[in-house]
Amino acid sequence: MAKVTVSKLAKLFPPPIKGGDVVRAITNIDFEVDGNVFVSIVGPSGCGKSTLLNILSGVDTPTSGSVTVTEAGKPAKLGYVFQDARLLPWRSVMDNMMYVRDDASEESVANAAKYLSMVGLDHTHEMFPGQLSGGMQQRVGIARAFSVEPDLLLMDEPFSHLDAMTARSLRDHLQDLWSRTRKTVLFVTHDVMEAVQLSDRIIVLAPGGVIYDDISIDLPHPRKASDPKVATLQAEILGQFENMQIPAVE
Amino acid sequence: MTTLIQEVEPEPDSAIKRWLVSDRGATISAAVLFLVMWQLLTLFAPRVPTPWAVVKIMWIEVTGGDYGSVRRGEFWNHYAATLQRYAYGLAIGFTAGVLVGALIGASNIARALISDTVLVLLALPAFVWAFLTTMWFGIGWQAPVLTVAFTAFPFVAVNVAQGVRAITPDLRHMSTAFGVTPVKRFRHLILAGITGYVFAGLRFAMIVSWNGVLLSEWFNGQVGVGFRTRYWFDANRYPGFLGWVISFIIFVVALDRLVLTKLQARAFRWRKTNDELDKELLATVG
Ligand SMILES: Nc1ncnc2c1ncn2[C@@H]1O[C@H](COP(=O)(O)OP(=O)(O)OP(=O)(O)O)[C@@H](O)[C@H]1O
Ligand SMILES: [Mg+2]
Repeated sequence: MAKVTVSKLAKLFPPPIKGGDVVRAITNIDFEVDGNVFVSIVGPSGCGKSTLLNILSGVDTPTSGSVTVTEAGKPAKLGYVFQDARLLPWRSVMDNMMYVRDDASEESVANAAKYLSMVGLDHTHEMFPGQLSGGMQQRVGIARAFSVEPDLLLMDEPFSHLDAMTARSLRDHLQDLWSRTRKTVLFVTHDVMEAVQLSDRIIVLAPGGVIYDDISIDLPHPRKASDPKVATLQAEILGQFENMQIPAVE
Repeated sequence: MTTLIQEVEPEPDSAIKRWLVSDRGATISAAVLFLVMWQLLTLFAPRVPTPWAVVKIMWIEVTGGDYGSVRRGEFWNHYAATLQRYAYGLAIGFTAGVLVGALIGASNIARALISDTVLVLLALPAFVWAFLTTMWFGIGWQAPVLTVAFTAFPFVAVNVAQGVRAITPDLRHMSTAFGVTPVKRFRHLILAGITGYVFAGLRFAMIVSWNGVLLSEWFNGQVGVGFRTRYWFDANRYPGFLGWVISFIIFVVALDRLVLTKLQARAFRWRKTNDELDKELLATVG
């Protein structure tokens, strides 16, 4: 049960061209996530979603403000699913799973195998990432993140590079995995439908990296995309977004 | 209207064709073709020795005999001297190449400062270094060793730099996000990532620098394969001249095919075939 606290967080990047303006990726945001909830972060491209996850995972540092990710008072263990699979191309699927794990015992291998099996990749242990399709690689990435049994799972548009059919099947895999393990998840997407289907809560970011809205969704899991209740809610929330003021991207 | 297309089973290639394009088949048939062309050439150019004349004289060089002034055992002395210089030269060029290549691959500043120089060095043929090092160091071990080192260096550096660049920031971020320990990172991210490129660099370094050691010994040696080559050349005995050069080429090609190509293929299992790698390197050089 991880606890995420983000307070007065801001992130500036140096101007992309000489003499230009600094880039405000995130501007003073505050929020808190506590417990085993599935939280989506949605917003248009460039509004600082990836930057936020990178700061939470320690890959990037804040310009000001602070973030803490704790598990019962101690630093939490993280899992991360990226937009692309990010596997070591020169290591087999199983070796990639083991790369992020702390111990190499037989139990640990069996555990990694269990997660590969959950995403339907039983027969790929010895294969190299280059021998798998993009969707299969992404599934390895998902299995890897779950297999470290993280307190907090960060996912950055994990399905956006995939075709609609593969994405749908992975979404079902994800719901299935999540309902079995119930971790704290921060799930970045720009697909509102996806966010509504998966999450208990949706944090909406607007350009410039400010919080625009914070929505709770109270429907039981797992949810089918075809469920009329889900569809109604999706339509309703999409409707709210039509009023969102998004400055034109230059 | 529908058209029915007759399905045709793809025919497997004939056994001969498959053998010819296999690794071993290609090597053997290339060698045979070479010998045939050589023999044909001697029909039109009488000063070119026949393969048989070359084999004969090399047999005498190896076993010792009454032809020329070779004593028993000298063949191996010459070979040992040359191989030692070649090995030391490769070791120096390789070490420098790995260090500089890693630097170019890892730092944009280093790349801006030195990568052009390395590209220029890539284009310098071994004989330039053979001349220069002989001018600088005169007669002695330095010229042959450094000729090999200078010739080998840029090939290793270019390949290692490419390998380091294959370790993308994305993969490093992934490792950070999962809290992978530095030891594991070094082993699985860095070392495993560049091993194939290191072997590729070493292979090309070996192949481009073998003539450097011979040339340099030609200019200034008192012992060595290059020295012996010149000895027969000066004596106007072309079978001896050719024999020594060819024996060394065979040695280098065999070392490449039997050892290094295999190691490289193993390290690059995840990636491409050696043929594709060769093409890639030829493209960088040419
Ligand atoms: N390393 C960086 N250097 C400079 N600017 C950056 C860097 N990373 C991100 N930015 C800028 O910060 C802003 C937010 O980027 P970020 O990647 O967080 O957006 P995003 O919401 O994830 O977008 P997308 O949905 O397209 O992935 C963008 O304007 C981007 O150009
Ligand atoms: Mg992003």
